[in-house]
Amino acid sequence: MASEDGSGGNSPGQAAPAPPEWNPAPAAGSGCGDVEEDPQFQCCVCLDLLYKPVVIACGHMSCFWCVHKAMHVIRESHCAVCRQPYKHFPSICQLLHHLLIKLEPVEYKRREKEVLEDEKRVDTYSPQIIEFLNFRSNNCEIDGENRPEESNSQSSAEHLKKVKLEDVSCALCKELLYQPAVLNCGHVYCMSCLSSLDDGALECKVCGGLHPGDVPNVCLDLDHFIEEYFPVEYDLKREKIQLLKGECNIKGSSSGTSSTKEGGGRASKKENFALKDDDLSDVHIGVGCDSCGVYPIRGKRYRCKDCTELIGFDLCEECYNTKSKLPGRFNQHHTPDHRMELDNSALLHRIMRLQGIHEEGPGGVIIGEFVAPGAVVHVIPDDLEELEDMGEEDQLL
Amino acid sequence: MSGGIARGRLAEERKAWRKNHPHGFVAKPETMADGTVNLMIWHCTIPGKQGTDWEGGYFPLTLHFSEDYPSKPPKCKFPQGFFHPNVYPSGTVCLSILNEDSGWRPAITVKQILVGIQDLLDQPNPADPAQTDGYHLFIQDPTEYKRRVRLQAKQYPPIV
Repeated sequence: MASEDGSGGNSPGQAAPAPPEWNPAPAAGSGCGDVEEDPQFQCCVCLDLLYKPVVIACGHMSCFWCVHKAMHVIRESHCAVCRQPYKHFPSICQLLHHLLIKLEPVEYKRREKEVLEDEKRVDTYSPQIIEFLNFRSNNCEIDGENRPEESNSQSSAEHLKKVKLEDVSCALCKELLYQPAVLNCGHVYCMSCLSSLDDGALECKVCGGLHPGDVPNVCLDLDHFIEEYFPVEYDLKREKIQLLKGECNIKGSSSGTSSTKEGGGRASKKENFALKDDDLSDVHIGVGCDSCGVYPIRGKRYRCKDCTELIGFDLCEECYNTKSKLPGRFNQHHTPDHRMELDNSALLHRIMRLQGIHEEGPGGVIIGEFVAPGAVVHVIPDDLEELEDMGEEDQLL
Repeated sequence: MSGGIARGRLAEERKAWRKNHPHGFVAKPETMADGTVNLMIWHCTIPGKQGTDWEGGYFPLTLHFSEDYPSKPPKCKFPQGFFHPNVYPSGTVCLSILNEDSGWRPAITVKQILVGIQDLLDQPNPADPAQTDGYHLFIQDPTEYKRRVRLQAKQYPPIV
């Protein structure tokens, strides 16, 4: 048992994750990857190394599946770290993905294997083809083979060999990222570069994807990593940005840690959502848009008639009308010549009618949050579940 | 998705706890009669904080995790009839960070839960009473409340 000073100073629920310590009693059979991975790239949901990281608008990140499985099938979802609400399932951040391949080749490979096994079991896959410009060099593979299994102390000097400046550069200024923010499409920009882009709708300069909602927050975990990893370059970039700011007094948040913008053009859409929030009858339970990632889809939903994947291929009305060219969020083999049709089968009120439950209005139902793609959704009236809960509570003792 | 990530996360929680945990606390998954480990139920001990009326008590707490963990918080239970304004007669702890609709976040770890409950012991929240006995004494008769807390601490001596 490790012991440390009394924990008197801890505030409730806010105890910081303790630094990894030497383990006096290693678990038997710890050979299978009980490696001290960089705690800053640990997923806060599964507590394992991040795999196919997704960055939410609040700037917090989790694994692709950890985010998707935790998203609410009827209402907006909340960040696992800060509870900030969000509606869109972001695309995988490829910059982080490739960064992790370089930083933790062995562990990342293990995660890949584990996740793929899980995916095979449910026959639904995360995006498999992830190409990142030309940075997919082979030396990370070699790196992985040469590196000894035990990785007790990874000096920063060793790190320096793995990641290069261009691996963590901004999609716009092409320089080292400073206060990086990740758009819904997964592309990463300096906060200052995003602010300069922001005139009405926020459009990604790499993929052309429209970013829904306000300017995302800085991804602090990535920011801290870059600051530690490239201290000299980071300082230079900071000075440069501050100089620029002083000169032309760019409008925008000074701290950058939270977006203060109201984004006049997009606010109307937001209000629209808020108004509709009471009426959930137009919600497609557990169906997300494969283009913009909104989850669940509200209003019209278009379903592909030709995609054979279990999870299907769906678009929200807006994306259907703009003819997105994205492949799909779950590695579907969707092509533009596939036929799409309007589909109402997953609408909340339809499902309720099927189950013989009267429409109770807002908040009348609770639905299991984890719904396997294509699984039956169990609708339980609110009071019924409460009763069950109480019964269970009494039985337990 | 079959089972979700509850078990994987709990295995990581267990790993992290064995590496490092606050002094005096105990947290281990239940061991079944046949020797297999049930990760979904953890038996824990929370030490009363030093310098408070709770000092000297080592209070048993059981965490019941569901397959929806960590999207949903675990149910945390002291023994039935536990004396505290924010503990239901059944023993279930009433605490904002353990409520899915208010303070729970999947990023909260077992360690943070236990430390949070330790804090709650000496800092009850009168705005959210869960039992009449503890609540009324806390509000109306601080001396008797103190006596009951100390008595209870003696009922749960350290397990050597």
